[in-house]
Amino acid sequence: MNKQILMAGVAAGLALAASAAQAQSVDYGSLQQLFDEPVTTSATGSPQRSTEAPADMQIISQDEIRRSGETSIPGILQRVAGIDVLNFSVGQSDVNVRGYDQISSPRLLVLINGRQVYLDHYGLTIWQTLPVQLSEIRQIEVVKGPNSALFGFNAVSGVINIITFNPKFDDLDVASVRVGDHGFRDYSLATTFKLGEAISARVSGGSRQQDEWARTGPLPLASDVTDPNTVQAAIDVVAQLNPKTDLRVEGSWSSSHQDGLAVNTYTTDKMITTSIKATLTADTDFGLIQVQGYQNGLTAKYPFALWNNTITVFSAQDLFKIGADNTIRLGAEYRHNTLNTAPLTGGEVSYDVYSASGMWNWAITEQLTTTAALRVDSLKLKREGTFPNRIPLDDNSNWDRTITKPSVNLTAAWRPTANDTFRLSYAQGVQTPSLIELGGVQLASTPFPGFTIDIMGNPNLKPSIVSNYELAYDRQFSAAKIGVRLFEQDWKDIKSGTDTSGLVLPPTATHNAAIYYINASDSKMKGLELTASGSFLPGFNWRADTTYTDVKDSPFAGVNVTKKYVAFQSTTPKFRGNIGLDWTKGPWEADANLHYVSEFKFYSMAAVTLEPVKAYASLSARLGYRWDNGLALALSGQNLLKERQEQTRGLEAERRVQVSLSKSW
Amino acid sequence: MRNRKKQLITALTMSLVMAFPLASHADPAKNLAVAGRALTFLENGPSGSAVLGVVFDPSKPGSVAEKNAIMAALGGGYAAGSLKLTGKPIEVSAVGGASGVAALYVTSGVNYAAVGGAAKARKLITIGSDPACAASGACVMSVATDPKVDIVVNRATAAAVGVAFKAAFRMMIREI
Repeated sequence: MNKQILMAGVAAGLALAASAAQAQSVDYGSLQQLFDEPVTTSATGSPQRSTEAPADMQIISQDEIRRSGETSIPGILQRVAGIDVLNFSVGQSDVNVRGYDQISSPRLLVLINGRQVYLDHYGLTIWQTLPVQLSEIRQIEVVKGPNSALFGFNAVSGVINIITFNPKFDDLDVASVRVGDHGFRDYSLATTFKLGEAISARVSGGSRQQDEWARTGPLPLASDVTDPNTVQAAIDVVAQLNPKTDLRVEGSWSSSHQDGLAVNTYTTDKMITTSIKATLTADTDFGLIQVQGYQNGLTAKYPFALWNNTITVFSAQDLFKIGADNTIRLGAEYRHNTLNTAPLTGGEVSYDVYSASGMWNWAITEQLTTTAALRVDSLKLKREGTFPNRIPLDDNSNWDRTITKPSVNLTAAWRPTANDTFRLSYAQGVQTPSLIELGGVQLASTPFPGFTIDIMGNPNLKPSIVSNYELAYDRQFSAAKIGVRLFEQDWKDIKSGTDTSGLVLPPTATHNAAIYYINASDSKMKGLELTASGSFLPGFNWRADTTYTDVKDSPFAGVNVTKKYVAFQSTTPKFRGNIGLDWTKGPWEADANLHYVSEFKFYSMAAVTLEPVKAYASLSARLGYRWDNGLALALSGQNLLKERQEQTRGLEAERRVQVSLSKSW
Repeated sequence: MRNRKKQLITALTMSLVMAFPLASHADPAKNLAVAGRALTFLENGPSGSAVLGVVFDPSKPGSVAEKNAIMAALGGGYAAGSLKLTGKPIEVSAVGGASGVAALYVTSGVNYAAVGGAAKARKLITIGSDPACAASGACVMSVATDPKVDIVVNRATAAAVGVAFKAAFRMMIREI
């Protein structure tokens, strides 16, 4: 029904398309050329220069993506200061900001052009499902720290907003073939074109496959791993309805097959994603108004379960200035999210979220600016359908529950000179439980005849709340810049994994025993981040960063944080960092990045215990040559220092090398 | 050994000097690039080919030098996004009678009040390289590029000449 409404809106919008005139959507390219720096809307919803955004963020440009030679988005993100990446397999990594990374990392909200691509069933990102080609990405915006006052629930450790080229403003035509050892094959195409004067379109597609990293021991079992592959397609159409109004319609599809660590064992999965999104933007006398609707579909096939998840989002916002110094954003959003129960079917868990938000940016003086953002989300949980025999909590009324929580972002930025910026910020973010955790999983296990344990979701699980305090300083020199960040995070009610070593609910005369998710601990983290970059000789650029984090867990009474998979004090490395160098001379370009992670512990595949992962350094590099006719040839590689390297307690990362040939026109 | 140490120190010093050079001076060509691009963010602004009047005071060497640099940068036609600009030097005393120009670029040191008054009477947008021009209300906009791009728009002056900028642009610049 919602899809039909969206499609009808799209058709009506396109039919109304009128003559060409000035741009009304945010033209990232022109604004970047004007201000000589990247532009973002990911900090407050308002377009801002990256150096003036009231958030701790880093923007990765298309040039940096290309020059990196990385084959995946986690590989690119690994080069960003403070980003933790757990590479469990060649096809799947878990990514988080400044510690607290974990299996099926749920704290990082990932978006493509503002549309959530984070998968709501488990609350994780499977990077291979993202329907985007690296060549069509204008920039990746990395927001560090909570930003749920803008993006809503789950933007708690950070936000990754992937911004593609906009066919209205950008002319892009790239085809590439990349082949490598271990069966690596990657084909991609992205092209833009005009349909008359008022309609522009971008179409892209690609496929990738490679061999999984080799097993080096009895675990994981051969049957639990697979060679990852993915196929994706996307379309993006912008119609200018009148000189001040644009309609942008985006659609996508992806099918991917991969393995990954799930609890303490590997499992394979197949994911099929679909999306349709329509965005109407109008520059009116009442401000820049944006109305948007989208629907994401997910079919997640595991060996033990099949989940279908549909999320529908409608939002509206108005962005306007009052006087010369005040920028205001007012927004409202409705979200419907639904998931079947599995592997024991018969039920459907869903929720509706109603949200209201506001942002106020006040330029008090030329040097001093404050930003305040507030969002209130109200989630109404519901369950329909039947229950398996003897499962606890077997009454749908147990799901009749409302969670209402505020999210806050407050920032004061002081720029005493054009080259110095101090920023003090406070944020409170809200992480809701995933639909699986709220009841989507229903699994019966019979360890011995006559005794059944149900593994199930928990409708009474509380959201986790994070508070983040940060002091930042940036200094810009004409050929270099440095940054210092001091931060502290305070987590309340962190959610557990499912602990099969102990019962949460004992059996009764009428119900089975059960294991489910619980709120297991609080945790605090303090840290320091140092970044520097610059150029030192013609054609040479350098960059370096290091991030220190110190995590202290406070488990609730009776909780063993290891058995509950929330032992962040042990599983978060103290240090992670990068040293990088790139060089350009005429048609030649080269890039090398050394990524370092200090020692940490992680969950063993053999038992629910922690085992050490030694400190490691991995090198990725690329050497490329570009001809004037748009052809480019490059040699790239990852994990180049060792043929095989332990980076988690799972499969060992392997050295991989590729050759790519691309053509732009 | 001592020489090698000296060489190392010299090399390190050179590297540091190159990495952290002293602030550079304003560059008229860079200012022109920003001014030209800013014009593309006007509602119903000029498109295609347009003439930029470059206002200067012949009695002030700084103003003349800036005018010459801007005219040199404009050359036979300067592309700023979708806009192609050509230049026309205009002495400050002749602003009132200037014709065929889409906007005025006001060099530093001219009598801003006189230029501003004439431009308002003729509904011409004025862009200055001196922040004082916008601050005084004579210019609609001032642009600077060192040490970073800085654009200031005088809202009252913009209203007086009947121009408005696109919303996204307004949210990224300073308004006074």
